[in-house]
Amino acid sequence: MSEQTGKQLSKEEKDARFEAELLPVLDPLYNFAYRLTLDEDDANDLVQETYLKAYRFFDYFEQGTNAKAWLFRILKNSFINEFRKKSKQPAKVDYSEVEGYYNSEDVEGEGGVASTTDMRTESVQDLIGDEVASALNALPVDFRTVIILCDLEGFTYEEMAKILDIPIGTVRSRLHRARNSLKEKLEKYAKSMGYNS
Amino acid sequence: MESKFTEVYQKGPDDSYDTDCSKVSEMLDLIIDGEATSEEEKYFNTHLEECVSCFESHQKQKLLKGIISGHLKRVIVPESLALSIRAKIQETL
Ligand SMILES: [Zn+2]
Repeated sequence: MSEQTGKQLSKEEKDARFEAELLPVLDPLYNFAYRLTLDEDDANDLVQETYLKAYRFFDYFEQGTNAKAWLFRILKNSFINEFRKKSKQPAKVDYSEVEGYYNSEDVEGEGGVASTTDMRTESVQDLIGDEVASALNALPVDFRTVIILCDLEGFTYEEMAKILDIPIGTVRSRLHRARNSLKEKLEKYAKSMGYNS
Repeated sequence: MESKFTEVYQKGPDDSYDTDCSKVSEMLDLIIDGEATSEEEKYFNTHLEECVSCFESHQKQKLLKGIISGHLKRVIVPESLALSIRAKIQETL
């Protein structure tokens, strides 16, 4: 919006700032993409596309503003505009694949955690992690998104509103409904494990 | 001892306490996400001192947030990704 908008960056400046300000967001961005698409290849494509767009529109990015929120916003728009259309089917939910992905070194192939009698803290932790992932992945993508942005990435409501292009009131109600739905799923799980909620 | 508490909030769902509880339950997310104003926080905490059921809802909501942030594993970014992003950018200039 400022008088700086007209100022064109040299290629060197652009490349340097791209490296310093945008690429460090790669990890959270990839995680976000993966949670949206639930597929490694799709997450890869989505992240690449996001960075290409970011580079192309770098002049619109105001230095010192929130690079992470800006990139998340671009990624989410790409996901909605192109990606969701391209893959006609709703986001794939294949838990076995997701689990295998997490424990790539120690996949035993057979039945998995349930048959394990060893309840070391570590495996209990893994078990909770897998269950949380399954419950989260089973949520509609809009619900999943607000939970990730808020609880995993620590965005404020205001940032979330900007990323998602919705009013803060909608952020709040969506988050509220998403948490209720997640709570329900996890409570069922806790009961099946013999815990009382 | 505790009956004193339960009495207070079991008076019936249509009494005046109810408005406090629903107000507080609407604030739950604001509170656990650190988005509440200091007045809202004060109101919230005061109510929790005298209402066991809201106290418990707060514990649950905090637990849920903690489970997500603490137990959901992050996926590992493929090492080749940063490289291919840089390469793509240079070739599509
Ligand atoms: Zn109450």
